[in-house]
Amino acid sequence: MRLLLEPEPDTDLDALTRQAQAAHAAGLDGIMLRQTRSVPVPLIVAAALAGRVEDLLLAVEVDVGDRHPFELAEEVAVVDLAIAGRLVLVAHPAPGAEQEYGEALDLLRTALTARPFRFDGSRWRVPAELPENVHNLETHVRLTPAPAQVRPEIWGSGSGRSAALQRGLGYLADADADPGELGLAHERAAEALGPAAIGAPRARRETLSDADSLVTRLRAGREAFGQDWAVVGGGSAEAAALGTQVRPRVQLHRLNPVLERLWEMDGR
Amino acid sequence: MAMADDTTAPRVLDRIGLGLWTMRSMALHPRNRVADYRALGEDAVLAEQLGFHSIWSAEHRVWYDGWCPAPLHAQALVAGVTSRLRMGTAVLLATQHDPFTLARTAAVLDRCSGGRVDLGIGLGHRDVEFDTLGLRRDQRGRRMDEALEVLPAVWAGEHGDPPVDPGPAIWMGGMAPRALERAATKGCNVILPQTLRPHEVRRCIDTLHSHGDWNGTVGVLRDVWIENDPQRARSIHSRFVNNFREEAGWWILKGKPAYEAPDALERQMARVADASLMGTPDEVAEGLRALLEAGAHFLCLRINFDLASRSELREQMHRVASELPPRLADVISPLGVGG
Repeated sequence: MRLLLEPEPDTDLDALTRQAQAAHAAGLDGIMLRQTRSVPVPLIVAAALAGRVEDLLLAVEVDVGDRHPFELAEEVAVVDLAIAGRLVLVAHPAPGAEQEYGEALDLLRTALTARPFRFDGSRWRVPAELPENVHNLETHVRLTPAPAQVRPEIWGSGSGRSAALQRGLGYLADADADPGELGLAHERAAEALGPAAIGAPRARRETLSDADSLVTRLRAGREAFGQDWAVVGGGSAEAAALGTQVRPRVQLHRLNPVLERLWEMDGR
Repeated sequence: MAMADDTTAPRVLDRIGLGLWTMRSMALHPRNRVADYRALGEDAVLAEQLGFHSIWSAEHRVWYDGWCPAPLHAQALVAGVTSRLRMGTAVLLATQHDPFTLARTAAVLDRCSGGRVDLGIGLGHRDVEFDTLGLRRDQRGRRMDEALEVLPAVWAGEHGDPPVDPGPAIWMGGMAPRALERAATKGCNVILPQTLRPHEVRRCIDTLHSHGDWNGTVGVLRDVWIENDPQRARSIHSRFVNNFREEAGWWILKGKPAYEAPDALERQMARVADASLMGTPDEVAEGLRALLEAGAHFLCLRINFDLASRSELREQMHRVASELPPRLADVISPLGVGG
């Protein structure tokens, strides 16, 4: 299982850097930057951390569906280049634009290929070929530059579950999502997509009250819906606990109990 | 390598920004993209160490060379590795973005950087860029007016966002009377194109003042390269002109791509070639002095030509920092920072 630390949203780069360094020191896989009213464009924060935070994945939440997906795709490509291919885009259905979410994901992903394309959706058409743009000669366009990743990692979140799973994308569930229902949703997607569903990340937001409870919960999540990613809220202290007390205990299907006793003795 | 003069550099370099980091990988000058973005951060660190005011980027989209379509996102990389250097756009195509998203993007960058954003905005001119985003080019003026309403309102917290005080400085790009009128009536700074001669800069400033008690900053872009050897300077100038022909070729001149309007393209190239300053430190300084004496407060020196290697670029940064300030100190020091 892979673990991301989700610090409180902030534009204080020094504070975020300290927490990211703690995540790095704890052997975690990355950090997650949430979108909030106070930090409405965390992609900017991710790019600002580019030269400060090495090696870690940077998962970034963005609203999708309310504005032109091509414009968002350009930002994704630039930020992915700035952080050398470490971006995970967590695409949240924009409030009021849930109907457009699926089409927005399709246009976003199409634009992030390295192919010239045209896109004829019910909401967006690219190029629009508007008659007023009399000097436009193009029937196909290509987003340049291409991102650093071959295929930028995109997860759905919130109410975007079925749209994401239908497309074989990863999905980040909320902490209170019903594990059994999640399991059924993933099962249905696997049946519908066949081998194309293999490998899609199954993530859930988590909180760390105590390490033992979280380990139990993550193991249960793995059983119920194949959870293989956890996004855990917290800062430097939580990072350390995740690294030493949670991460080693959720990597394998089972651990020899002697090993856990050894770790406990070493910890003392 | 000589460093900037301790007594004169800080004040002169406070009025000099470096441009343009466009992040292109051109046919004759290909670059690895990941390395190029990493180099942006490294160049920004050097620019800050040398004492420059700012580093500037620009925006275009859907062109083969990968010209950066999201310059604020690229500049965020600079914010993370510098502490004093400002980040500018000359220009960002405000008409091609949702103004609320643009306002929030600039606000987050401004807060991440501690208030170091100079948001130069322009209309844009390529139909394909508008068309890709489902926008009409003929509505760009209205969209610019809307952006100029929305940006300060969002930054002031009028739409529920946390206020940014004072928020990014807005610089209006362009030299058309309407652009200057917008800048003057909205209290923006201006960033004038690199083709303007000193008397044309003066005329633009007169136009700005004709709209009332405007007191913003006047910045001028200028293509610059310091080279002592006349033969090498001519060679660089020639390479620069040819390189620029490629860029100007996709401008719309006389209603069609300039590649298909060779006469118009050559006239444009002649203006670019004539206005560029490539020669000895004295020759370059003389040209810049004329712009400052015409009333410009700020110079955005475009030294990051895509034809130059990184080592050549960094050498130019050192040369500009050390060789121009002593030659411009007397003309720049009496001016106040406007805007």
